[in-house]
Amino acid sequence: MSDPTSITAVEAPGAGVPAPTGPVKTDKPRSLAGDAWNDLRKRPVFWISIVLVAVILLMAAWPTLFTSIDPRACTLANQHKGPSGSAYFGYDFQGCDVYAKTIYGAQNSIIVGALSTLLSGVIGLVFGLAAGYYGGWLDAVLSRGIDIMLGIPFLLGAIVLSSRLAADPNSDGVLAVTMTLGLLTWTSAARVMRSAVISSKNQDYVAAGRMLGATPARLMLRHILPNSIASFIVILTILLGTNIASEATLSFLGVGLKGDAISWGISISEASRYARVAPGPLVYPSLFLAATVLAFIMLGDAIRDAFDPKLR
Amino acid sequence: MFRYIVRRLLQMVLTFFGATFVVFALTFANQDDPLQALAGERPITESQRLALTERYHLDEPFLTQYWYYMKGLLTGDLGTSLTGQKIGDMLVNAWPVTMRLALIAIVLAVVISVTAGVYSAIRRGGAFDNITLFLTLVLLAMPIVVLAPMAQLLFGIQLGWFPPTATRDASLYALFLPALVLATLAIATELRVTRTSVVENLRADYVRTARAKGLTGRRVIWVHVLRNSLIPVVTLIGVDLGGLMSGAIVTEKIFNIPGVGFNIARAISTEDGPLVVGFVSILVIIFLVVNLVVDLLYAALDPRIRYE
Amino acid sequence: MPGKSPWKMAVGATAIALLAAGCGSGGSDDSAASSNTAIIGIGEPQHLIPSNTTESNGAEVLSSLFYPLVDFDDKNNPTEVAAESITADATNKVWTVKLKSGFTFHNGEPVIADNYIDAWNYAAYGPNGQGGSYFFTRIAGFDDLQSEDPDGEEGPQKAPEPKAKKLTGLKKVDDTTFTVSLSAPFASFKSLLGYTVFYPLPKAAFSSDGVIADGFEDSIIGNGPFKLKGKWEHDAQIVVEKVTDFKGQIPKVDGITWKIYQDDQAQYADLVAGNLDVQTTIPIESLASASADLGDRFQKSPNSVFQFVGFPTFLKEYQNVDVRKAISMAINRQEITDQIFLGSQTPATSFVSPVVAGYRENTCGANCEYNPTEAKKLYTAAKGPAEIKITYNVDGGHKAWVDATCNQIKASLGVNCTGQGEQKFADLLTKVEKKENVGLIRLGWIMDYPLMENYLGPLYGTGGSSNYYGYSNTAFDALVKEGSEAATPEEAIAKWQAAEDILAKDMPVIPLRVGQNVFGFSEKVTNVTVDLFQKVDIYAIEVVS
Repeated sequence: MSDPTSITAVEAPGAGVPAPTGPVKTDKPRSLAGDAWNDLRKRPVFWISIVLVAVILLMAAWPTLFTSIDPRACTLANQHKGPSGSAYFGYDFQGCDVYAKTIYGAQNSIIVGALSTLLSGVIGLVFGLAAGYYGGWLDAVLSRGIDIMLGIPFLLGAIVLSSRLAADPNSDGVLAVTMTLGLLTWTSAARVMRSAVISSKNQDYVAAGRMLGATPARLMLRHILPNSIASFIVILTILLGTNIASEATLSFLGVGLKGDAISWGISISEASRYARVAPGPLVYPSLFLAATVLAFIMLGDAIRDAFDPKLR
Repeated sequence: MFRYIVRRLLQMVLTFFGATFVVFALTFANQDDPLQALAGERPITESQRLALTERYHLDEPFLTQYWYYMKGLLTGDLGTSLTGQKIGDMLVNAWPVTMRLALIAIVLAVVISVTAGVYSAIRRGGAFDNITLFLTLVLLAMPIVVLAPMAQLLFGIQLGWFPPTATRDASLYALFLPALVLATLAIATELRVTRTSVVENLRADYVRTARAKGLTGRRVIWVHVLRNSLIPVVTLIGVDLGGLMSGAIVTEKIFNIPGVGFNIARAISTEDGPLVVGFVSILVIIFLVVNLVVDLLYAALDPRIRYE
Repeated sequence: MPGKSPWKMAVGATAIALLAAGCGSGGSDDSAASSNTAIIGIGEPQHLIPSNTTESNGAEVLSSLFYPLVDFDDKNNPTEVAAESITADATNKVWTVKLKSGFTFHNGEPVIADNYIDAWNYAAYGPNGQGGSYFFTRIAGFDDLQSEDPDGEEGPQKAPEPKAKKLTGLKKVDDTTFTVSLSAPFASFKSLLGYTVFYPLPKAAFSSDGVIADGFEDSIIGNGPFKLKGKWEHDAQIVVEKVTDFKGQIPKVDGITWKIYQDDQAQYADLVAGNLDVQTTIPIESLASASADLGDRFQKSPNSVFQFVGFPTFLKEYQNVDVRKAISMAINRQEITDQIFLGSQTPATSFVSPVVAGYRENTCGANCEYNPTEAKKLYTAAKGPAEIKITYNVDGGHKAWVDATCNQIKASLGVNCTGQGEQKFADLLTKVEKKENVGLIRLGWIMDYPLMENYLGPLYGTGGSSNYYGYSNTAFDALVKEGSEAATPEEAIAKWQAAEDILAKDMPVIPLRVGQNVFGFSEKVTNVTVDLFQKVDIYAIEVVS
């Protein structure tokens, strides 16, 4: 490595004392995915989180399976009434059914949270991998680009992006919010990916692969990526949670979801103003949001553990 | 090492101009009618509009406005805000308190997340691990617009442990509550990353070797494992410090701290280009310096990493 | 061990960080040294030059630093304060202002007629860009002080200088007397003079003729009962202290700290915690707990706020007056003021605020009464739109009542209704200017001076400064003008009431609510009252010893 702008890791921090670790490839050539699946099947955490995620996705796709109440039929006469047989979670400040609103809120929250996280994951992965693997001027340009991105206040970026993206006054703003969050939150994922790649790219098995004539693409995808992905997945699962919450902040500022859109974020930030009088409308959507993030984090942890050869 | 630092410093200059340009462009793109934005719901007369438009070059094209700004900046004049205040004075007033707030928040975040992260990693799957996981999730699920007023209500008013607001020259004690609120987001991420990284390192061969050599468990973990696990965490701290300063918008508003976040938010809502860029420029410089320090810290934490 | 050094570094860094964070603290209590002072919460004023101060925060601070020509009595009639007399000639066109003698500015300069003339000329001169310049439009010669926009096809150009620098209508008679000539008769001109923008400025304010000195705004000098202590500490506080041997009314406190807040909730938290003495506007979210938190220190008083929604005239679907009436009747105002505002506002039944002379209840009549069945009948017959939108600005805390109003419209009319939030009021105006489909627009008005005309002219007159929806009715305009030029206030009111009756027929807007001050104060102070302009009475407030 002659380029002083890149960090040269002699060894991966995880490997410690040089020892014959590397990839635990046994005599029988099995695929990484196959190994992972065999491992995953045996984990109860995996199944619990799969069930939770499935229920949440079902709720997002077909809310009418869970409730027949119209979440937009609100009347002030019901303001802050407690839970009852017809309204399991009671009513909020506007007299809307909290249970129905929570069920219907899943859709926008999941779409915004999952898609924006996917978008920032893809950008972060590509940029982090490229910067970490190639180093040199590419790393310098990408890293300083990330610095610039981080220097832009989230609020400014969000206001400009979402108001330009949501040019169509009739759209509900879901696409604009998703794009905005995705385009603004990839930086930490990229930085973590970059430093993980730097520390794993000079390991013996990568050098071996390179000597055997593997293409850079193959080296990156098959050898470096699986060994660098642990922290990356953790960042993404957390990002999922914060993105769902950030949607609330954007809606709060008037650049988020438009009109009468329903989401957990909006419900939470509206109910928080009256938490002293009526905590219910705040607690229920928060619990659903926490459960969703929990399910995705557990799923992420399980997959990560299964894919990480070092943890077997 | 020396060449590396010089090179990074040179890159910094370019990055700085890039960042100010991007931020200026974004503010310009967001500019519909800054004079009306400033006036709120009050009407503006035609002659007033005319006078202010001319004074602040509001009808000039983007590049001309950027040129006026840069010309001023290079001669040490940061310009004036649309309310006629000197931006230089505003910076001097706002920065110290935000720096102190962010530093306290970072220290809190690191102390809490590294300690808790290591313990949950050691007792992986245990009660402590699960409880911290759940708590961090609840914090994550709460938008800051919810968390900050809740903390103020509970600790500031009902329990009365901390003052509910802080001023520009607030004491450490008065800044503790807002700093803790600010730290929560960083805690969630840093804790999870610490935990993951420690779990990985606990299985490394050098841990087995160290144990075999007869070192105590505590020494192995807090010296050998932690040191190797801190690299991703240090990366995050670098990112977080900047995020905490610009991200303090809601927290500063709720705890009435007239710092950077509050000023940036106000500047954005009044579409005040020079004011936004003035604050963000310094934010960018801090980012660049911190990230350079973080990269150098890699080397300090991991002797196997060196800069050529 | 090599492992130790990063730990030492980390510990060192922590210590340095905490030290750095801790320094600079202390010495924060010195402003409250004198015990006979009150701390009153405000937001950061935009300006403190009187002619540029048109928002309530700056106006409140200036009310302690300046002594106005006139103030208002209990019935909102103007009474002379700094003026000895203000009299009109027979035509109501030329007004003579005589000043009381013996008053001085805080720097010792005597207050003379020139101080008013200079300040008003500065205010009216177009290139100075003063926010309150529109108050001077009635004075003869105003138009000559404005320049025209020269920007043409070739892009921006430098504006030419206006024809004149001084108002021809202002003439000095002697040191304590000057005359004001108006371009048209105005019987109620005296009421105007109570407004902030008509305060005088000392000679020291100007660095040269017509140019305000650098830094004057931060250390402003007035003629009032209090003077600035130190400088305006932006975003933090403005401290004022009593002027010794002040010739006018003497306040009961020795000083006031105007503490600046970014957020109403933060202000309320400080009030409850005892760090603040007076909050003039308690946020809606805290009203439910305010009685419990403050007891009888939570009070209400009338103010001039008038809340309504307007129908932009470019939207064809609302041009039928029956559609507008139907929407108005679909709204249950009482339920909203009770449930959303917890009684802090009351339903509006007229087109002006109850605080002005000439106000009559129920001028809107049946059109402002909740009647869902009649509303639906009328709406269906008039073929109203199937989708109603209400556009509002999210930074003003309007979401709750807009959503509730929409829910009521949905229930009453059976059509869909959505609230559309815009970031700020300026964005809403931009959309209106571009003639986008904004639906109904949320608007509010706070009076500048206590006259019916201050509602009728700006809100409903053709080309009125806040007539954003474009309502225009020549008969209405004529009546308002006749009222302004009438010989006596009584005749004026009769004309203005006739004009208001036209509004009830046309329904250009839907009146919704009139405001109240909901204020609270600490145990440290007593005799706290908040006036129509949302200002604390600084002469009455006392500190409990």
